[in-house]
Amino acid sequence: MLQTLKLVFSNPLYLVLASALFAFMLIGLSVISEYLFFEPYLIGHIAQGTEFGFVLIVILSVLSAVVIPMNIYRINILKKSKGKIGGSVFSSFIGSVAGACSCGPVGFTIISTFGSIGITALTFLTNFELPIRIGAITLLAFTYYTTVKSLKTECKITH
Amino acid sequence: MNKKGSLIGIILSVIAVSVIVAYSSSFVENENYDMRTHGSISTVMGSSIMGSASAPITIVEFGDYQCHQCYNWFHNTKPTIFQNYVDTGKSNFIFMDLAFLGNDSPKAAQASYCAEDQEKYWEYHNQLYNAQESQIDNGWANPERLKAFAFSLGLDMDSFESCLDSGKYAKRVQYNIAEAKKLGASGTPTFFIIGPDGQQQKIVGAQPYSVFKQILDSMI
Repeated sequence: MLQTLKLVFSNPLYLVLASALFAFMLIGLSVISEYLFFEPYLIGHIAQGTEFGFVLIVILSVLSAVVIPMNIYRINILKKSKGKIGGSVFSSFIGSVAGACSCGPVGFTIISTFGSIGITALTFLTNFELPIRIGAITLLAFTYYTTVKSLKTECKITH
Repeated sequence: MNKKGSLIGIILSVIAVSVIVAYSSSFVENENYDMRTHGSISTVMGSSIMGSASAPITIVEFGDYQCHQCYNWFHNTKPTIFQNYVDTGKSNFIFMDLAFLGNDSPKAAQASYCAEDQEKYWEYHNQLYNAQESQIDNGWANPERLKAFAFSLGLDMDSFESCLDSGKYAKRVQYNIAEAKKLGASGTPTFFIIGPDGQQQKIVGAQPYSVFKQILDSMI
């Protein structure tokens, strides 16, 4: 497993991509879930009772940053299995959407635009925010496992 | 010809009277709505003022009773702000409704004004934020529960129920939502802090006490 990671991330390009993805996911999710504020000045804040949600965001960001570059590597090297990157991007997206608390401007815009359909959708995403994020993490973890397995076989990594 | 002329005259008179009545009633309505303002915010349809009315600073919160971030702010940040600024007379506090999150949100906001009729607005407001459940529209703020909260506060149930069921304060809540939109509040909670010179600072989200302290101290 470690060798597979070394194989992919020994290329600085994938390391930069992973860092950018991690920063993008962590900052984006922290902003929409109100852990990070830019106005009136930059401040991070984890309110009492919301710690678990933040831990899930960190896990989601780390997994997305690892799994997506690994699959891009796989496509570039082996020119196959585009489905896996689709799956990992989909999982990251689902995890991110679940974090879009309906209290915030994102929810307000959706509700203002789509009316009662927006309310129903946002209510679902808010009510099941944590289970959806856990589901997305499970999907990413599964994608990670299968990608590592595939790379081991296809790139003939020996232990 | 005469008959035709008088008919046109009657129609024109009716139109003229209607226009005058419509204009004057909207004027009265606007005049009432503009009676209490803080900075650029018309707060007349919001809550009563909590704290000293003559305090130099006013904090206006736009919130939703089903908003979990509002719940977080209510429990984590508000007590310290009240202790250091509202209770000491440095600031006062007004709550206004941006009730958009779920189908039960507007009704919960209306219920708070029905409680205000019996001078229990703040008790009811606190009751709602203490009773909030993590899921939106799961029934915790449905009309039956709203009535149960009123009952637990010892309100007169006949008048509360008639107020809530008739939708007496539906327009008041709508007015507050429109006011929030006008001010560019696009999420809950959104705060406006209005200083003694009319300077206005917007804070979006359930931000920590340190942010409020810095702004409030700069205005004193």
